[in-house]
Amino acid sequence: MVSFRKSNPGPVRYSAATLARKGLSGDDWPRVWRDHDLRKTYDVIIIGGGVHGLATAYYLATNHDITNVAVLDKGYLGGGGSGRNTAIVRSNYLTPEGVAFYDRSLTLYNSMAADLNINVMFSERGHMTLAHTDSALRTMHWRAEVNKLQGIDSSVIDPQEVKKICPSLDITSHPRYPILGALHHPPGGIIRHDAVVWGYARGADHAGVHLHQKTEVLDILCEGGGLADGKGAGGKVTGVRTNRGDISAPIVVNCTAGWGSLISNMAGVKLPIVTHPLEAAVTEPVKVFLPAVVVSGSLHVYVSQTDRGELVFGASVDPLATYSMRGSLSFTEELAGHILELMPGISKMRLLRQWAGLCDMTPDYSPIMGFTPVEGHLTDVGWGTYGFKAGPVSGEQMAECIATQQTPKLIAPFKLSRFETGELVGEKGAAAVGH
Amino acid sequence: MLLVPCPHCGPRNQSDLRLLGEAVPRPNPNTATRAEWGEYLYLRDNPADYVTETWYCRAGCRRYFTVERHQATNEFRNPPLPGDKVGNSTYTTITVGSSGKQRGANEGEAS
Repeated sequence: MVSFRKSNPGPVRYSAATLARKGLSGDDWPRVWRDHDLRKTYDVIIIGGGVHGLATAYYLATNHDITNVAVLDKGYLGGGGSGRNTAIVRSNYLTPEGVAFYDRSLTLYNSMAADLNINVMFSERGHMTLAHTDSALRTMHWRAEVNKLQGIDSSVIDPQEVKKICPSLDITSHPRYPILGALHHPPGGIIRHDAVVWGYARGADHAGVHLHQKTEVLDILCEGGGLADGKGAGGKVTGVRTNRGDISAPIVVNCTAGWGSLISNMAGVKLPIVTHPLEAAVTEPVKVFLPAVVVSGSLHVYVSQTDRGELVFGASVDPLATYSMRGSLSFTEELAGHILELMPGISKMRLLRQWAGLCDMTPDYSPIMGFTPVEGHLTDVGWGTYGFKAGPVSGEQMAECIATQQTPKLIAPFKLSRFETGELVGEKGAAAVGH
Repeated sequence: MLLVPCPHCGPRNQSDLRLLGEAVPRPNPNTATRAEWGEYLYLRDNPADYVTETWYCRAGCRRYFTVERHQATNEFRNPPLPGDKVGNSTYTTITVGSSGKQRGANEGEAS
């Protein structure tokens, strides 16, 4: 049952002309996506309505003509990691596999506004990862060389150049960790993360995908496996049980963040994931003074200024593994101390609010993508602290993986079996704090 | 900030301790397969429920102990008491040489 408002059947194209027409006529805008009744059967069920799940659905429909697809979310679209991250995108990673993968994502982000016909407010303002120690500087040089070999614009700059780009940074030798240099990555920047979610949701809905909010997956139904109820290795997926009834489907994709282990456990697949919260905070808005994204691994902080003028801070993950998203005073205290080391001039600014999101941390700081030992159960999980920037490429590659039933080359290094064979993709040097 | 029930020091601030993660039994190194090593090193249950985990009291007694904590509410259950044989034996015990002699980290250095 389609429930677009009757006066506006079908989605409209967003443009200045539409805005003027709607503004003058006072017509309602159509809903961005529709509600549907749950079908009994889908070709593909995607669990998790964030950037990853919606992008997978969108590319399944647009690149591969698979439209009998449902995206299930227990809350609302974009309410998890997609709405809690600090909206930074970049591709200056450490391993060749990581660089190639994230660079493809950046390419898709660059053309996203045109592709999805939505203003995602991508601001390519440059990304600086500060080095405060000799070993950090050495890693920056390493990353710069790996990046350059793959054609990524990335170089190490000295403190004077850092000061030229961001005059508010303290480059003197006074702080406990003085700035010795930085890895400068001009193509990095920030983007409006909600618009990315809405853009993919609108595109997927327009192509015929069903988006089901407030639909919680309670169990994944399997047969033929070695564990209880036919779950586990050697079995295959037959559908899912939700709070709105059972649905059958030959393919069930886990695109959740934070709950990745719990969902795959429902199919009898154990993952190398530990869930940690990551806290972030935002200040009151002030005039624009910070022209780039600034990251400091040693000080566990990254900061950027939004178009509204607020400073958005993120930190490293909390050391405590937990599903609780409570904020803590110790976080605020440490954050304030560290950020004032970098920018003493903002000591009078006030924090507006803080929040936390869940990060599925893997041992090598790389995701787990593709097939699992249970036939028909695919994962796109383990996104740790770097999931948002990989959303578009993950959707594109997972859609290809589902449609062709073969693992695309770009995500082959991120297979689950690497934890048995030892072929880890160690990204800790570029992903542990830096965003 | 959590108060962690150290069996020797009593409740201590979380920042005094280090969480080492779920207590996972170590496979026998002489017979373990690649898959078993992979599972021991990397795979975790990670439930939104009580989990038995290993803590290191780094700023206090500097001993290891295991305790159950709920990963969604952070509540501790069944905290160990002083004198309890605490510590997951498979975590703190290493096998020395081919004689199969056992050496426990909680029992001091053997030789």
